[in-house]
Amino acid sequence: MTDLLVTLLAAFTVWTGWRVFRVDSMVRASFSLMLSFIAVGGIGVLLSAPYIGVATVFMMAVEMMVMAIFMVMFMMNPAGLNPMSMVHQHRFSIGAGVVAALGLGAAVLLSSPPSNPVLSDADVVAELGHELLGPSMLIFETAGVTLLATMVGAVILSSRQGRFGNADEGSRPPGLSPDGEPAGRKPDNGGEGHHHHGGHG
Amino acid sequence: MIVLLALAVLGTLGLGAVLVVAMDGRIAQLAGQFARQRIETEAPDRLNRDLAPVWYLALAAAGLSVVPFAPGHALLDSPVGIVIWGTCEALTIVTVFLHGWAPNAPFPLIGAYRYVAIALPVMLPSMFVLIAAALPAESLSLLAIVESQREIWNVARQPLGLPLFAIVVLTLTLRGPMDFADAADIATGTSADESGSARALWEVARAAMLVSASALAATVFFGGPLGPALPGPVWLWIKTAALVAAFAWLGRRIARTTPSRMLTILWVVLLPLSFLHLAISGVIAL
Repeated sequence: MTDLLVTLLAAFTVWTGWRVFRVDSMVRASFSLMLSFIAVGGIGVLLSAPYIGVATVFMMAVEMMVMAIFMVMFMMNPAGLNPMSMVHQHRFSIGAGVVAALGLGAAVLLSSPPSNPVLSDADVVAELGHELLGPSMLIFETAGVTLLATMVGAVILSSRQGRFGNADEGSRPPGLSPDGEPAGRKPDNGGEGHHHHGGHG
Repeated sequence: MIVLLALAVLGTLGLGAVLVVAMDGRIAQLAGQFARQRIETEAPDRLNRDLAPVWYLALAAAGLSVVPFAPGHALLDSPVGIVIWGTCEALTIVTVFLHGWAPNAPFPLIGAYRYVAIALPVMLPSMFVLIAAALPAESLSLLAIVESQREIWNVARQPLGLPLFAIVVLTLTLRGPMDFADAADIATGTSADESGSARALWEVARAAMLVSASALAATVFFGGPLGPALPGPVWLWIKTAALVAAFAWLGRRIARTTPSRMLTILWVVLLPLSFLHLAISGVIAL
């Protein structure tokens, strides 16, 4: 029963992973990838790793939501509903895909993973906690602090306010037609526009 | 036992949702939706548009399935019950986003983006509150969290928990000050271009999510099924009903501010508050 479920989830993982490159929108691609990871989380739960499995689903839901928005923002695909291709650099990606598939396939076929079944009464969640905050504390905390620094950096970079004034100062929205008038509010031409606020920190 | 628990989950969700809709005085409005024709927008994402209300309802049911209806008995008796609830919260954001994105229309899309911007930072206090509730129990299982409240409820020893979680509940159910998805100021946002049975189902799912989230709040802060004389499920229903009424009242009483100001409140006030809450709860639990 478990074997069948794992097989079905693995097939779903591959199919949704393939869908990521076949759909025509950033939002659809992101959430196809999310479905793929949800199936991976399900496999984790079936392999007696309930915390890692469920946490994978949780993290991927939040992460793919953020990713969908960032991709729509940076890919000039307004709202993510305009059809666009999800594949590029065809030759390089085919080569990378073949190498990765052969490498991972060889790793699976040539390695002999240990057969170490989890005891049914083992408290796997508590053991994972002891491992993460015991022997693996250094790796865990290093990864955690690195991610935190990344997040703080991303927030600062995307902030409108900066030490040299607002990030959008002097910027103009694109025209409604090619070389046309800028969309939105008209910039004022009075003396106010040349008056700079803020310090010279 | 499993059949009984499944019936309890479905019954609570169904009856609770009907009562929530009645409390909001919208029974006639929703029943009228069934007679209405469906609006078609230009080039929608049909799959996600049709599935979003179903996902919302399913997430409410999945969230309620980890809630113990009697001490030691939950439909989904998982060692990581509270993480499963957190997963339902995160997937709810995705569902509301897809509900607004799929119709391919301006107001739903504005609602979807506005909601995501507000709801993602709400996840952080939510996680801190839930982790803090797990600290005295020394377990992520909701059954253990209920057991840890035999002497004193979490609402008393973690006073910041319930107010912070109230914000999470209002966000998950698109209510009052946290309703940035379906608010009147953008013509009901993600639901603006939806009518007929799909719209009715979406409103029912919102009501069901309020029941589910209130049941979880009752479990995490008020000892869930624990109580004298009456059987466990009855205590859970009483506490859930009281919390549903309280959250609905809060949603009606508090005004909604602009998304940008709410974003500042969330990051600058509520996030440090939830850090503080976790620190205090941790010290008390030690």
